Amino acid sequence: MTDLRLRSVVLSACLLLLVACTESPPVYHDTERPLRLSDWQLFAVDTNELIPSESSVVFRPNNPLFTDYAHKLRTLWIPAGLQAEIVNDEISYPVGTVLSKTFYYPRASSTTLTKVADSGLQKIDLSENQLIETRLLVRKTDGWDAFGYVWNDEQTEAFLRIAGASKQVSLLAQGGTQTTDFTYFVPNENQCAACHTTVHPDGDMHPLGAVFGQLNVDVGTGIASPLEQMVQRGWLSDEQVFPRSESWQDPSASLDDRALAYLNMQCGHCHNPEGAADTSGLILDSSQTLAVNRGVCKPPVAAGGGAGDLLYAIVPGQPEESILLYRMRSDKPDEMMPELGRSLIHSEGVDLIGRWIAEMPGAC
Amino acid sequence: MKTSTLRIFSIASVAVLLSSCGSEEPAMPELSFEEALQEQLIQAKSGDVITIPAGVHEITRSLSLNVSGVTIAGAGIDTSILSFKNQVQGAEGLLISANDFVIRDLAIEDTIGDAIKINESTNVQVLRVRTEWTNGPLSTNGAYGIYPVQSTNVLIDEAVAIGASDAGIYVGQSSQIIVRNSRAEYNVAGIEIENSTFADVHDNVATNNTGGILVFDLPNLPVQGGRNTRVYNNQIFANNTGNFAPEGNIVAGVPAGTGLMIMANDNIEVFENNFEDNNSANVLIVSYLINEIPITDPNYDPFPEAIYLHNNQYTGGGESPDSEPLALLQAATGQPLPDIIWDGMLSEGKTAAEALCFSEAADTSFVSLDASNGFAAPSFDAAAHDCALPRLSEISMSLSSQ
Repeated sequence: MTDLRLRSVVLSACLLLLVACTESPPVYHDTERPLRLSDWQLFAVDTNELIPSESSVVFRPNNPLFTDYAHKLRTLWIPAGLQAEIVNDEISYPVGTVLSKTFYYPRASSTTLTKVADSGLQKIDLSENQLIETRLLVRKTDGWDAFGYVWNDEQTEAFLRIAGASKQVSLLAQGGTQTTDFTYFVPNENQCAACHTTVHPDGDMHPLGAVFGQLNVDVGTGIASPLEQMVQRGWLSDEQVFPRSESWQDPSASLDDRALAYLNMQCGHCHNPEGAADTSGLILDSSQTLAVNRGVCKPPVAAGGGAGDLLYAIVPGQPEESILLYRMRSDKPDEMMPELGRSLIHSEGVDLIGRWIAEMPGAC
Repeated sequence: MKTSTLRIFSIASVAVLLSSCGSEEPAMPELSFEEALQEQLIQAKSGDVITIPAGVHEITRSLSLNVSGVTIAGAGIDTSILSFKNQVQGAEGLLISANDFVIRDLAIEDTIGDAIKINESTNVQVLRVRTEWTNGPLSTNGAYGIYPVQSTNVLIDEAVAIGASDAGIYVGQSSQIIVRNSRAEYNVAGIEIENSTFADVHDNVATNNTGGILVFDLPNLPVQGGRNTRVYNNQIFANNTGNFAPEGNIVAGVPAGTGLMIMANDNIEVFENNFEDNNSANVLIVSYLINEIPITDPNYDPFPEAIYLHNNQYTGGGESPDSEPLALLQAATGQPLPDIIWDGMLSEGKTAAEALCFSEAADTSFVSLDASNGFAAPSFDAAAHDCALPRLSEISMSLSSQ
């Protein structure tokens, strides 16, 4: 009798905890900076799965940024009762909005991870995947704030790392035998701002992925796009005509459009007329009409060794002579571009830009 | 027996659930010196002084500061050393984007790229700071030592810059600049003022660089129209180190043995400097056209104008020029090259006196290279340049001391 009662008490305690684990909506922290990711309640961390809160929309942008072949699980959450507005044809999120991006790799073995295309999981099976970090962008009263959380080895918690972190990764291409060993860098908070502050230095941080064009994803008939899900949840009104940004991965787009989409996403956050890299005079956000400003026959300014003993950013028809491609193909910190966000070379991007330059008419 | 087993099982399952909710407290990670310093820089408030203790501190990732009103202070230019010898991330050692910034009394060594980059900042002081690549002049060294760009009110005082593969002290696209009492050695360019306005470069020592002091204006940049720079009372001698800049960069075209080089800049006053033993040219004044790079910028003026040299001292130099046209000229004359060398290229409608005036000692020698005619008829006649220009004003700025 005593045993039975004890048993039922324990069982109901378990049930309560289960409910607490899966059903609590995320929490917005206005002033404090939680040291633990779990304080945001964005995920239920089961022993076997990382499950985003049902209150969040899981999304994948049209034109994702390259990060050392890491897979990314992105969530968007707006507190109950609040709505985003449309300001200057862009989404303006209400205070309390939390965007998250969890970086992970499928495991190949206990020591190696797998290099394979991101399949866009809606939740992460922890027996098959290794969590690395979760980055948050949080809309506070005075603008967006960035938080970087790094997962512990047990995958039970991620801790705030203001100064970033690094992790040794051994990556095995699917079907390959040689591993690529590299240091994966978790950005520090200033480095978050380096990309998310597109108007340098006085502009605020803002999202790069959770924007109209990026959220308007063609996910196939019968499936709601992230934007449609936002409308369904009452986060956005449906009276807006949504633009869609080009994707470098879109096989139906022209080579020119794909290349420009690629450069725009990977480079345009700094290489825009008001960005941190405007000092170079190389503008890659598709805003420029003059060829030289887009890099065609443009001499380097302060590239140092990054110029690779080459004379121009882009030499039409000559990818091997183009500094732009040289810097994409480098993995040396002082030469490579982008400066942040990767340790590895993005071969698919190199292929795309290489073909684009090769087919570009003209000469220097 | 049965009871206790059940009980243990139940408690264990509760514990599993507890930990899966994160209620159990996994341990926080510890911070290294480098991480603690970067955290301090991120969490700094205006008015903070962040100290770098004496000693050699190994840093592996770029450090950065975005908070205005912060001072980074070491214990001495040779005692507090941030060593980036094993740097694995970041294109610079220290990246600053903050107003009212002071960095003083420390050294930054062996960064993989630039040592200190200061981007779009106002009221910047770099005081008694050394940037150095310790293995000597190598093309694999970082490009710039002290590198403020698109900044306003910049004071660089008692700095030391050694070994940069581009420029030791490089102020680009900036305005209101003072570089003084500093030493630049074994860089490609010792001190370079580029696409900038209103600069005083004085009481510096520039030696053993490829080029001692450079004042340039380049096309296709968001900030151009470089003008109003005074270069005075500097010791500019024996800048004869072979050019080790990676090709493609503009300074890769600077001949080894250049004392002062002015390219495409206007309103430059050069006085009371001591030029000595710069083996290509003590003073070289050229248009951007000399690079033979096509100009695609309709707003760019490639010609230097209103250059005024007076009361400088010239000793030696011009004996083994590192430039084909200069070497041919030297071979033709059998003499060391003159003290002041001008490419002779003029903007349409301008006179020689509008480009270059000088009031120097009678024995100061000069040549105009006739570069626009393939160096066909160099002229040693300085009569057209015997003129004076209005003196430029001193740069003054009020910066708070920290």
